[in-house]
Amino acid sequence: MTPSTVAERIDAIVEEFSDLEGREKLELLLEYAARLPALPEAIAASRTADEHRVHECQTPVYLWPEVRGDAARLHAEVAEEAPTVKGFVAILAEAVADRPVDEALAIGDDLVDRTGLSGVLGILRARGLRAIVGHTKRGLLEARDADRRGPG
Amino acid sequence: MDCAPGMLYDSRGNGPCDAPSRGAAAPERSFPDMAEYAHPEVLVGTEWVAEHAHDPNVRIVESNEDRALYTQGHVAGAVEIDWQVDLQDQVRRDYVDRAGFERLCRANGISNDTTVVFYGDKNNWWACYAFWVFKLYGHKDCRIMNGGRKKWQLEGRPWSTDRVHPPAGHYTAPEQDGSVRALRDEVLKHQRAGRPLVDVRSPEEYCGDRLHMPDYPNEGALRGGHIPGAVNIPWPLSVNEDGTFKSVKELEKLYVKGKGLKRRSPTIAYCRIGERSSLTWFVLTYLLGFARVKNYDGSWMEWGNCVGVPVVKGSTPDGSPAPAP
Repeated sequence: MTPSTVAERIDAIVEEFSDLEGREKLELLLEYAARLPALPEAIAASRTADEHRVHECQTPVYLWPEVRGDAARLHAEVAEEAPTVKGFVAILAEAVADRPVDEALAIGDDLVDRTGLSGVLGILRARGLRAIVGHTKRGLLEARDADRRGPG
Repeated sequence: MDCAPGMLYDSRGNGPCDAPSRGAAAPERSFPDMAEYAHPEVLVGTEWVAEHAHDPNVRIVESNEDRALYTQGHVAGAVEIDWQVDLQDQVRRDYVDRAGFERLCRANGISNDTTVVFYGDKNNWWACYAFWVFKLYGHKDCRIMNGGRKKWQLEGRPWSTDRVHPPAGHYTAPEQDGSVRALRDEVLKHQRAGRPLVDVRSPEEYCGDRLHMPDYPNEGALRGGHIPGAVNIPWPLSVNEDGTFKSVKELEKLYVKGKGLKRRSPTIAYCRIGERSSLTWFVLTYLLGFARVKNYDGSWMEWGNCVGVPVVKGSTPDGSPAPAP
């Protein structure tokens, strides 16, 4: 069975992480990082220097939360030197892809704890990843409101 | 031993002149220009590491900002020691205690006489931080791989994903060595006595315009500015584009001629959480031969939250208006 809702996808991801020891959790995170899609050309072509940058984040991380016809998407670009952040962003991107935005907005800020990554990464890094969840949801909320207002 | 004149030893003999003895042979040749540093024996080149990675007297240790980098690929045979999870206590805001440090060393195949070579991402910040914690517990033979991950990568050297299971080490650590670490009360006394302080954060953090460095999170300081009297020498000025340390001439120009720091004066370095300043501590102590440098690891995350301590804003050490350019 393919998990369909955001909550089910998140549960499946948490499950996937839960049985692994520390090093394996990082290996799995790297697998997610490798799957993060490249930035769509339309976004890459129109981007400006610092817009969409997550300023709370320790390394260059750019997020483009998008809502079209109520369906959520998360596009992102993360520096190669930050595979941990890249993997975590990839998890979020996979979890929300093409699902109703309200499902995505219900993702808990405790995702990093549920995966057990906070224990592997330590307090400060876990705090950074929690900030990414918050940042993504704020972006999706704005995008949702703009989407619902419609063009013009 | 080639010591700077006036070099001091601490009570345990753990001073910088306490040369590596029983571990690996001192590195030579690979970096002819490194010989100019006050204590060139604490730096090794990438080639030396490649040759000694499986030497039973040597343990290569990677310490990173991003933990997943080690998992992604490390120097073959290198173990990982993480600054947050391994070196810091998970309950108190402090380092692991003596027993914890001994356990950590044994588990990573480190004995008292092992040559430990640190390297990592971000121009060796965390490598210097780990090096400093090892000195805090009096480990004799610590070295840094000049250039860290960056140089290794630039040279196209191989990364390994093998799991490393070194044979257990035998380790007995002394209590912490107070000669490398400054705690808050000592910093306050030092400041009141008008002794030299180096603030290695970005100019924006030093001036109090921002509470965290560009691109980094504010980890919770309530006040911005610097400790009165501290000169500002941002840490990145100590390293080259390829992650290696600048030459002794350039470093002297920066720290001694430029900002008037003196080799024999007790000096305290600080930053935000003590990591950037451990790189500066390393540079001052080992590359320039300063005799008594301490790292204030509480740094701005403590000072900027302390009640009643002096703070000034602006670009000058005493907070007075900067002279017109």
